[in-house]
This record gives sequence, structure tokens and C-alpha cells, in this order.
Amino acid sequence: MSAVQQHKVIDSRGSFCPGPITDLFKAYRSSQLGDVIELLATDPAAKADVTAWAQKSGNELMGITDEQGYTRITVRITKKRG
Amino acid sequence: MQRVVVVGSGDGGTFTANLLASELHDEIQGGLASVQLVGEHLKHPFQPGNLDIAFKGADPEKYVKDETKLLRKGVEFIQDPAVKIDYATKSVTTRSGRNLSYDFLVIATGAVADPSKVPGLAEGSMNFHTGGKNSQKIWEALQKFEGGTVVVAIAGTPHKCPPSPNEAAFMLDEFFSKRGIRDKVQIKFLTPYPRPYPAEKISHVVEPMFKEKGIDVTTFFNVDSVDPAAKKIFSLEGETFDYDLLIAIPPHHGADVIIDSGIGDQDGYVPTDKGTMKVVGQEGVYCIGDATTIPVSKSGVVAHLQSVVVAHNIVSEMENSKDLLEYNGRINCPMEVGHHRAIFVSATYTSPPVDQTPSLVKYYMKRSFAMIYWRALNGSLERVFDVFFGKTRFPAKPPEPVKQIITVKVPEGGKTGA
Repeated sequence: MSAVQQHKVIDSRGSFCPGPITDLFKAYRSSQLGDVIELLATDPAAKADVTAWAQKSGNELMGITDEQGYTRITVRITKKRG
Repeated sequence: MQRVVVVGSGDGGTFTANLLASELHDEIQGGLASVQLVGEHLKHPFQPGNLDIAFKGADPEKYVKDETKLLRKGVEFIQDPAVKIDYATKSVTTRSGRNLSYDFLVIATGAVADPSKVPGLAEGSMNFHTGGKNSQKIWEALQKFEGGTVVVAIAGTPHKCPPSPNEAAFMLDEFFSKRGIRDKVQIKFLTPYPRPYPAEKISHVVEPMFKEKGIDVTTFFNVDSVDPAAKKIFSLEGETFDYDLLIAIPPHHGADVIIDSGIGDQDGYVPTDKGTMKVVGQEGVYCIGDATTIPVSKSGVVAHLQSVVVAHNIVSEMENSKDLLEYNGRINCPMEVGHHRAIFVSATYTSPPVDQTPSLVKYYMKRSFAMIYWRALNGSLERVFDVFFGKTRFPAKPPEPVKQIITVKVPEGGKTGA
């Protein structure tokens, strides 16, 4: 667990598959355990893709919120090698 | 004198320079304009040929031509790579110290596949994204391979030619089938995406074919590292697979000149408007192809279509004309699925790829492109592409603003309400 946990907001609005999930992975790569990533996406596939990734990888899906014209998907990094 | 400098002599840079030389023929002859193409290599490769070199044993020399033979009269080729781009002074500095001033700049510096970005990847894998010679090493390894696990792994995104990892898996299946040892080889496909191909409709085609051919897929596998000695590949998510032969798509980044000039994003790609192809915040500066931040395929077809937009708009700007084109996100990536069949991944910003069936016709269309590529670079096949792409090619000039007639009733004595 890192001493200082980070909260990152990734804005993928306007980007279509695989844009949002690719942006999430980029943030995941530079994250540490305990960090929180908020992904903002307009692509409807992002919800299902991130949910499936969190489920498979063992990371925590904290919430999916429909905002005005986009979706906010929040993930806590609880599983990462290294 | 209007000076255009094109940095990068790959597909997009070469084609843009040729289009400009054609459009500005009279001005160049009269000393009123110049087109300088700055590049590192005298040899120009047809990069999709790397798949054939790696998996069909094609001769790398077949896919290379001398850059100077591909250029139209009027293009000055400077074989001296750019090391610095300075928007403030409107100049490009080359490795030898030459300083080139410009009125219009086209950045076509491409993307660099870099296995060193993942620990152990350079030592533990082979790839067909870093040139013909490295692709040839895959072919040599395949000749000696007698059985075991071949892993095809996407080790970073975005990368050049999105269908190429899938093509590699299909071509491996075909190769080992022809050698009669397919039953001794396990082909494993590791992808960070949620499905075998990122676009869902294309995955509908690929997934059942992978299943039928016994190509095993693991999704959500973001490559963390490779242990070359133990022959293991690890994901950030915590999975590990053994391999006997690892063929990886390396992570990519922007060109050194972009990074060193401080004009790229964190990965060295140039922030670019997805319609006008202008570099964000700059006038007279355009960026095309793999070098941009635009979320479309990094592929030759994209660079080609963007080149037409940029060359046209530069000439219009010189003429103070409002006749401007916009790129509409059109992609057209052929994917060979083995045994003489192919599909085309086609889309625009607003139209995602559609379901399709692999066909022999599409396979031969893909094969023929290796022959017509060289002519396509000098612009002589544009009429053919007009027919092929039809209305999806350029949509689009920016739409005319809708004229609205608004009648406002002014009450007596005064002001209008809000």
C-alpha cells in the first residue's frame, strides 16, 4: 500500500471503444494499491467493459453513476502485480 | 515564397509532400513555393509487408524502395532527420545542424514500437513491428519450431495496425497447419481488451474463428513483464503464462523529435484536432498519421486520407480560400484471417464497424495493396480511391451554419424579454 493514495480522474468523454478502457489501463499501469480512478465516459460500452475487467482482475468497482450526458465509473485499485 | 516543411518521410509524409508538389507545381517552378521533406532513411518500407515476412517467409527487399524514386518533381528530400521543432521561431533543426524555416509545417513523424518499455520484453520476445529484419527472425524461428506454446501478446496500446495481432494468430494457425504440426502447437492470444478484437462487431467475426481454429484467448491481460530465462509472461492483473515462443506487439510512443521538442503529450503524440488535422493551438501547423493523439487506428490508410485533407487545406490557406476539408475518422484496415480470406475493419467517427463475412475478394484486395502502395504514394491512384471510399471519404467540408430567421416582437416602448 502506498503512503499517499491518489485519486485520479480520467476524462474519456467523446472517445469510443476501446478508448475509455485503454485510458483506464493507462491509469492502472501507473497506479498503486489503494489508489482510486474515476473514469468519465460517454461510450455506453464502458460500463460493461470496466465492470467485467474489475470482476476478472479482482479490483474494486466502487460505483457507476449516470451524470448529465456521461457516466462516472469509480474503481479502487486493490489488485496489481508488483 | 511560401515554404512548406514536412517532417517524416513515411507513408503520410511522403504522400503529403507529393500532393503538395502536384498542387503547387507552377508556384514551385516559379520560385513562389517550396516543399521540403525531412526524413532519416533513404529506404522506404511498406510496413504491412512485415506480416508476410514473418509468417510467409517473404523477402524483406520486396517491400522496400528508394525514397527518392517515390517523390514527385518539386519535392526536395533532405535525408537528415529532424531533431528539434520550434513553433515559436517556425523552424526545424536537423541532426547535422541545418535550420529550416517554414510557413506551413506538416508533422508526420509516426510512432515508435519500443520493446524496451516492458521489463524483459526485448530479450524474451520477437516482433514484426520494428522492421523487416526483425520480422524475418520470426520466420526463422518458426522454421525450427517443432511444438509447444506460441503466445501472441499485445504488450501496449495504442499500436500500429490494430488488426495485426489477430492476423498474426490466424497466420500462425495457417503456417503450422501447412507444416502438418498444428496438433503439436498451442496458440495463445493475450489481449488487454475485453474481447479478441476491440470493436465488438469485428470481434463477432474473430471470436468464433479463433474458437474453431483452437486459438486460445485471454482477455484483460495487460502485460507487466516477461521473464526471458523462465519463459514466462506476467500481467498487471496477476496472471502468468508459460511460452516457448513469444511474439509480442511492443508498446509504442511518439518520435524522439516530438518528445525532445516538448510538443507531445505524455506518450510523445502531438495534440491534434480530429477534423482539421491542425496541431492544437498552432496556426499553419498540421499533424497526420501515427504521430497524432487522434483516437483512430494508427495505420497507413488513415495517414493517406489525412494527407489529402492537409495538402488541400494548406493550398487553400495559401490562396486565402475558405474551401477546407475535414477528416471524418474514416479507417479501413484489412485483416487477413488465414486460408485466403480477409475482412475490412471500416468505420468513421460516427459509424462503427459493421458485421461482415470473411471473403476471398477482400483477401485479394488486401494482397493487391502491396503492389499499388508505391503508386498510391505519388497520388496517381486518387480517382480509384474516390470510387472505393465513395461518400465516406470526405464528407465533409464543415457544414454550413443553419440560417435561422428569428422574428422578435418588440413590445411597445421597449425592451425584449429574456
